[in-house]
Amino acid sequence: MSRTHVNCIVNGDEVDFLTTDASSLLDALRDELGLTGAKEGCGTGDCGACSILVNGRINCSCLMLAPEAEGSDITTVEGMADGEHLHPLQQTFLEGAALQCGVCTPGFLLAAKALLDENPDPTETEIRYGLAGNLCRCTGYDKIIRSVQEAAVQLKGA
Amino acid sequence: MTATENRPTYAYVGTRPIRHDGYDKVIGKARFAADQNLPGQLHGAYHRSPHAHARIVSIDTSVAANMPGVKAIITGDDFPTLDAKHPNADTATNVMARGTAYYHGHAIAAVAANTRAEAQAAAAAINVEYELLPAILSIDESMAEGAPLANETNHTKFAPPGEPSNFSTITNLDRGDVDEAMDAADVVIEREFDCAHVHQGYIEPHACVVDTGPDGKASVWCSSQGHFRVRSMTADVLGWDKSRVKVTPAEIGGGFGGKTTVYLEPIAARLSEKTGRPVKIVMSREEVLRATGPAPEAKLKIKIGATNDGELTAIDGWMAYGVGAFGDMAGLIGAMSIASYKLPNLRMETYTVLTNTPKSAAYRAPSAPHAAFAVESVVDEVALKLGMDPVELRLKNAAVEGDLTAMGMPHPRVGLVECLEAMKVSDHYTSDVPDGAARGMAVGFWFNIGEESSATVNLNDDGTAIVLTGSPDIGGSRASMAIMAAERLGVDVYSVTPVVADTEAVGFTDVTEGSRATFATGKAVVQACDDLIEQLKGRAASIMSVEVDQVTWVDGAAISAAHGGSEGGEPLTLAAIAAQAKRTGGPLTATASLNAAGAGPSFAVHCADLSVDEETGVVSVLRYTAVQDAGTAIHPSYVEGQLQGGSVQGIGWALNEEYVYNADGVMDNASFLDYRIPVASDLPLIETIIVEVPNPAHPYGVRGVGETGIVPPMATIANAINAATGVRMTSLPMSPPKLLAALNKRGK
Amino acid sequence: MPTIHLMTHHRPFTGGEAVVKVDGGTVGAVIDALEERYPGLGEMLRAGSSAGIDGEVHAEPEYVPVSPDTTIYFLAPLVGG
Repeated sequence: MSRTHVNCIVNGDEVDFLTTDASSLLDALRDELGLTGAKEGCGTGDCGACSILVNGRINCSCLMLAPEAEGSDITTVEGMADGEHLHPLQQTFLEGAALQCGVCTPGFLLAAKALLDENPDPTETEIRYGLAGNLCRCTGYDKIIRSVQEAAVQLKGA
Repeated sequence: MTATENRPTYAYVGTRPIRHDGYDKVIGKARFAADQNLPGQLHGAYHRSPHAHARIVSIDTSVAANMPGVKAIITGDDFPTLDAKHPNADTATNVMARGTAYYHGHAIAAVAANTRAEAQAAAAAINVEYELLPAILSIDESMAEGAPLANETNHTKFAPPGEPSNFSTITNLDRGDVDEAMDAADVVIEREFDCAHVHQGYIEPHACVVDTGPDGKASVWCSSQGHFRVRSMTADVLGWDKSRVKVTPAEIGGGFGGKTTVYLEPIAARLSEKTGRPVKIVMSREEVLRATGPAPEAKLKIKIGATNDGELTAIDGWMAYGVGAFGDMAGLIGAMSIASYKLPNLRMETYTVLTNTPKSAAYRAPSAPHAAFAVESVVDEVALKLGMDPVELRLKNAAVEGDLTAMGMPHPRVGLVECLEAMKVSDHYTSDVPDGAARGMAVGFWFNIGEESSATVNLNDDGTAIVLTGSPDIGGSRASMAIMAAERLGVDVYSVTPVVADTEAVGFTDVTEGSRATFATGKAVVQACDDLIEQLKGRAASIMSVEVDQVTWVDGAAISAAHGGSEGGEPLTLAAIAAQAKRTGGPLTATASLNAAGAGPSFAVHCADLSVDEETGVVSVLRYTAVQDAGTAIHPSYVEGQLQGGSVQGIGWALNEEYVYNADGVMDNASFLDYRIPVASDLPLIETIIVEVPNPAHPYGVRGVGETGIVPPMATIANAINAATGVRMTSLPMSPPKLLAALNKRGK
Repeated sequence: MPTIHLMTHHRPFTGGEAVVKVDGGTVGAVIDALEERYPGLGEMLRAGSSAGIDGEVHAEPEYVPVSPDTTIYFLAPLVGG
């Protein structure tokens, strides 16, 4: 079996791993790098539970082949906090009870971060469409939307 | 929140602390079953039936066995045959076929190999010879005279022993004289309804890791709503004593009733036993949709009679639920869930029938959503016919304590009237319907259950406490356990650590289902705390040198007038007593367990404003309010979350979700792309109003809230669509093509 | 004597009677008495049932004590999801 050697940056660190050409980046993150925050909800890019940032853009890691990550700058949920300081989104999600089972939460946090990075002052509708690529079955989205709104306020004021 | 009785002042009950397990979930550290890996683990994959109904003539694993990385292959022959009457006999056959495939996707064999890809490749290379059997693919086919059997091992329940049947239950409920009341009624409305299968849609597929050691003991990590049931079912399917199976619940990524059974664990356990290595099995989304239990499909006919002044006097109904390839009681439960109105005359003819599709599983309040869709749609028609406001009509007929439920028992104290009153004065209901939109409302009910729970409370010598329960946390319940313990003991909620413990570390606890965790496990936690308080008082008596009956417990401290000389005495805090635990007799710990009686039903009232695009049949939900009786909301944010989650699942069920089967019984839309659940851009904010009519059978008045929220939405939406367009949709989902067809039929 | 209410699928055993009275100090004793008077009914009731007793629903109430003025409603097992 031949494996491809991939070098990239994950959460600010230079990392490398071996992978097969048929593996997804999601598989590589979870199985080679031990970063299990990104989840497989569908494997077909429909649920967003595997969302990560690749070179600043939100991506479904289940739809990227692992070797495609060569040279990329990747952020997973494990890289959102700064040491013991949570990202404002992580904090508002907790305070706003924006998670019930929590399995979609990593994907939503990164999608919301990508949204607010690009549009710091979104309307409720813009938030809803910005997060339409992430499925949640527990919350009905209400508290997620409110938490993103609160984080936007905090980030603007920061 | 709308409290209806003199509400006690609580320190922690009713507050919104950040949940104790929340931090791990927002930093990606929380471990779900698929995040678990054991050294040396193998991966499992299935060979599944390509036919909806077929006899298995032969299984040839010879090619597969020689493929790279393959360590073991198992089939139904690797499991004992359970007696037909064994409570887990159907589960045992469902997890691995025994001679007959009963649905497309039914597990025929499983492979363990070094990698998932190798296991899948080998599973695909297993050669199975089938003899096709006639497949029953609809309720009508199942009920037809002379129909072939969907499952030749099924017999009708509650009937004398007889021939195998497609009918799992044939049961009627009745009271009063329906025919006489219908004859005398001023208004009679009758409609027929049908509901397609829908899936619970949990974002996390089923997953487990099982390590069966050479001592024959299996350690299981799994995604489940009930790890003690995983233990029982796994042990029973394998033919093992329960003590050979230890189950640790991983964090669970949604269940909603779909994870109250087992699919993977016995298979992984047997593969692990044969290979001597841990085995990890994770379902793909496609497998979840093809091979795990959806909610039943149903056909219903409901006729309601009323007087001109709005009294609903009679209901006559027929319901048939299709539950897949194995029997259950869905039809009877559907009829039993009709409990919102006094309706002195009632007759329900109910059937549960089998089809060659996956075995149904619960989806929140099983069977009730179908029944409520039908009943609440007809009640809406009655209101329209009489020119009565729909909330007023329901208030006039609302069931109260003492009114009979359909199953015959009178209601205990319940809060439907209070919920209707809260809806009546709500901001939503009192505001004008927006231009171009229309409004609908409906009510819903669920029994909620009690069942068995255990809890252990351990005090640390610094006064902090650990609360161990066996209720997997599917929506924030462990925070509620901490809140109840903090309230009872009189300590800070963050000095309490709530733990969901494995099957060896806490007493038997039933599944987190039936909205039972905060009620029944909460009761156990409170009882354990009360036991601990008695112990603390005893220790305090020693420390204070007084008699124990001179000690009382107030605000987290022992106090005795006989101690310290001053009036009221010097309080000895829990922490101070805990610090002297060793000196006063040893560690402070208490356990309680119960079979909880008195679960309080929860009523809900929903309202929606929506607009219909008559060119496309697309419905836009503009505003949605869910009112529900929580008894007492221990953690209001998580109660609100249940109301909102259930509402949105119901909106998806109403407007878009359905299983599409082709003529061969193969699901055509087995992906999240084509099985379309609601996304954020489909919805408005979901306003919630928590009503509190305390349940006297719980120390804090708790009623379970997890399930009722899914019961009213479909009729709420249907009633609003009717108000918007004059079209009465009676078939779920009310998806754009179907609504458009109905609009075109109606004309302009 | 305790008063017992039966669901429709229990009534074939009692010749259609929906409400009956038998003696017993516990729910289990009542079920035994029902089995004696209506053979087959007790077995069906024991095959996993819930019962409403004085306003509270109990699951598997075999040893729940009852008094002469208790009303028992035998129900199908209540479930959830």
